[in-house]
Amino acid sequence: MAAPPLQLHTPASIGPASGPGDIKSRPAWSPYDDNGGTCVAVAGSDYCIVAASTRLSTGFSILTRDCSKLFQISEQVYIASAGFQADIRALQKMLQTRNVMYQHIHRKPMSASALAQLLGNNLYYKRFFPYFTWNLCVGLDPEGKGSVYTYDPVGSFERVGYSCQGSGKDLIQPVLDNQLKAASPLVLPSENWMTALPLEQAQDLVRDAFVSAGERDIYTGDCVEILTITTGGVHRETLDLKKD
Amino acid sequence: MFLTRSEYDRGVNTFSPEGRLFQVEYAIEAIKLGSTAIGVRTTDGVVLAVEKRVTSPLLEPRSIEKVAEVDKHIGVAMSGLTADARTLIDHARVECQQHRFSYNEPMPVESCTQSLCGLALQFGEDDEDKDRMSRPFGVALLVAGWDEEGPVLFSTDPSGKYLKCKAHAIGSGSEGAETTLLEQYKADMSYPDAEKLALSTLKQVMEEKVTATNVDIAAVRPSEDKLGQYKLYNESEIEAVIARL
Amino acid sequence: MFAKAPSHSTALGPGCAGPPLANPQQLSSAQASAHERGSHQPSCGAAPFAVDASMLRSTGSQPHKHTQSPYVTGSSVLAITYAGGVMLASDTLASYGSTKRYKSVQRLVKVNDSTVLGAGGEISDLQFILNMLDDLKTEDYCADDGQSLSSQELYSYLSRVMYNRRNKMDPLWNSLIIAGLEGGKPFLGSVNMIGVAFSDDHLATGFGNHLARPLFRKRHRPDMSEEEATALIREALEVCYYRDKQSINKFQIAKVTASEGVSISEPFALPTKWEYKAFVDPTRNAVGVW
Repeated sequence: MAAPPLQLHTPASIGPASGPGDIKSRPAWSPYDDNGGTCVAVAGSDYCIVAASTRLSTGFSILTRDCSKLFQISEQVYIASAGFQADIRALQKMLQTRNVMYQHIHRKPMSASALAQLLGNNLYYKRFFPYFTWNLCVGLDPEGKGSVYTYDPVGSFERVGYSCQGSGKDLIQPVLDNQLKAASPLVLPSENWMTALPLEQAQDLVRDAFVSAGERDIYTGDCVEILTITTGGVHRETLDLKKD
Repeated sequence: MFLTRSEYDRGVNTFSPEGRLFQVEYAIEAIKLGSTAIGVRTTDGVVLAVEKRVTSPLLEPRSIEKVAEVDKHIGVAMSGLTADARTLIDHARVECQQHRFSYNEPMPVESCTQSLCGLALQFGEDDEDKDRMSRPFGVALLVAGWDEEGPVLFSTDPSGKYLKCKAHAIGSGSEGAETTLLEQYKADMSYPDAEKLALSTLKQVMEEKVTATNVDIAAVRPSEDKLGQYKLYNESEIEAVIARL
Repeated sequence: MFAKAPSHSTALGPGCAGPPLANPQQLSSAQASAHERGSHQPSCGAAPFAVDASMLRSTGSQPHKHTQSPYVTGSSVLAITYAGGVMLASDTLASYGSTKRYKSVQRLVKVNDSTVLGAGGEISDLQFILNMLDDLKTEDYCADDGQSLSSQELYSYLSRVMYNRRNKMDPLWNSLIIAGLEGGKPFLGSVNMIGVAFSDDHLATGFGNHLARPLFRKRHRPDMSEEEATALIREALEVCYYRDKQSINKFQIAKVTASEGVSISEPFALPTKWEYKAFVDPTRNAVGVW
């Protein structure tokens, strides 16, 4: 029996089954879902705030109202992720393992910048079957200044002074841009992009941002978990959002 | 030491009944034939001074490389079979670059040393890995670097052992040099004093007169960004140190 | 004859009621229609990536067979915690498309002395999972150290298995609920066919997420007595039975408690009442519809 001719598959060639045994047919199944959620991070000169909503959704349904999107990597380094929850879990688990291995080899916890590069590499490594996750990598740099790294799902990343990711980002990011008054990246010499806001005001801004996003974004709600990272430690607070 | 020698010194993976690996011990002996290399650590930087045996006036002295840069912040001095050192240094360079790729930071010096020693141990008769050496590396290294901990100096040997040192010497003159270092090393030494100590110690154990062509000096010192910077001295810089002896 | 609209979910396939999953469209239209679908999708910033399963298929002479749609399926599983235990419930139906094919299939399974697994979706995949769990149990038995996998460990294991199979584009077509006691405390975990996994005080898969969980949210308390929990779960089963066409009036309830361990009830039927006005005359409050 002759081998069937090699068939190349391009996205355009895939359509409904046109006959028996036609392997062009594809299942009405997607390996991806979008479980929504919003993350915000703000870097200050001596603090870093990271916050994420806790609602887990699929389509128009709520799966659970209490699913944390924040993940601690080391004492002062966290990642916050929105998007496809199964990928988020896989990513978190992988990074945790890598951090443990790193500590065994180098006898120190990973810094925020080391984790930032590692996360970027790993997202890019899965460029052609990406983790459908929108991440923030957050922590304090060696000088105790807040540092926030923001990513796309395939590993582009940048250090910024504040960022928002996830389903509520269209609502929140412009407000942060306005309130935190980032220096334009076009100004030379480059200016300090860290927010000058005192800690309490920055926390208030984050709270307001989530309450506002909860009003209009159906995937942001139930509760928001807000962590404040300083050299003194990590302070955690939760704030209830609308449950509708 | 060699009186009990028997067929146990054939296989590199065979312990003698006394619990010794002769091939590894012979490799360590090979280092004692090598040119002398000295490392001294101060709070202000680490200096490496090595002897270059210019055996003929027809040799181009600059082609004798006994110190090498592994990464921006790590340098090594070698003694023994320097060709073996190339393999180790290549490995360390790759590891350092991989670390920068993965974590966007310089590799900790101890991790780099650990990795060097890991390779040094991977000799054997296993045919699966073509890159693996069939015998121990016949070389000892002084690894000088600057990382988050500040200045650090490690010494490695063919058994894969590594030690963190304040000052150390390897090679044919190591025993005499160690004595001098023990006497003259001070914890609060300035960097210029360390340069002087390293070179004067080297001078003592060298047969020839010290010149700018038959020694090499390298340093790892902090740069403006507070990270380490490897630097190989040029002839005039070496002469300046010689002048201070 | 009128063309009949499919009653099943486009994502879960015939025999599985439920909402469509993220990306039921054809791949070719998926990219183009990202904005049209906007209203049905969370907008994290981009539509879910479309990956063509056939691209990842091995190119041997025989094409690799992956599950493209389920055949014999179970419907919802419900689960709640209560004071000192967990309770699960489901019916015993395995449907073949819209046919009520097998009416006495046990979908709540004891995994070990502290854990019960409840499953909806493809029954053959469930049986495959149970074989795997049996192997784990055999390992525990052979170790003979009195240890067995805890509920949370099994939950974590199953979440990795499900995610791994989705990575191979060959999913196990199930929604699972793992229930048990973790350090004496009630534990419920849910895993679906693409590896989304979470834990809550009350859970329900499939239709149950729409019909039973609103009831749970209103009435559930972690400190409920067993009687209260039973009453709540029976009411939720009744509601699911009224509205889920792929269910039958033959249920089982499983419990895990510290004192009694795992118990799974014999199948039973619930008293039903079809005389509700809304059932008899469904358009009474909706004049003009037919």
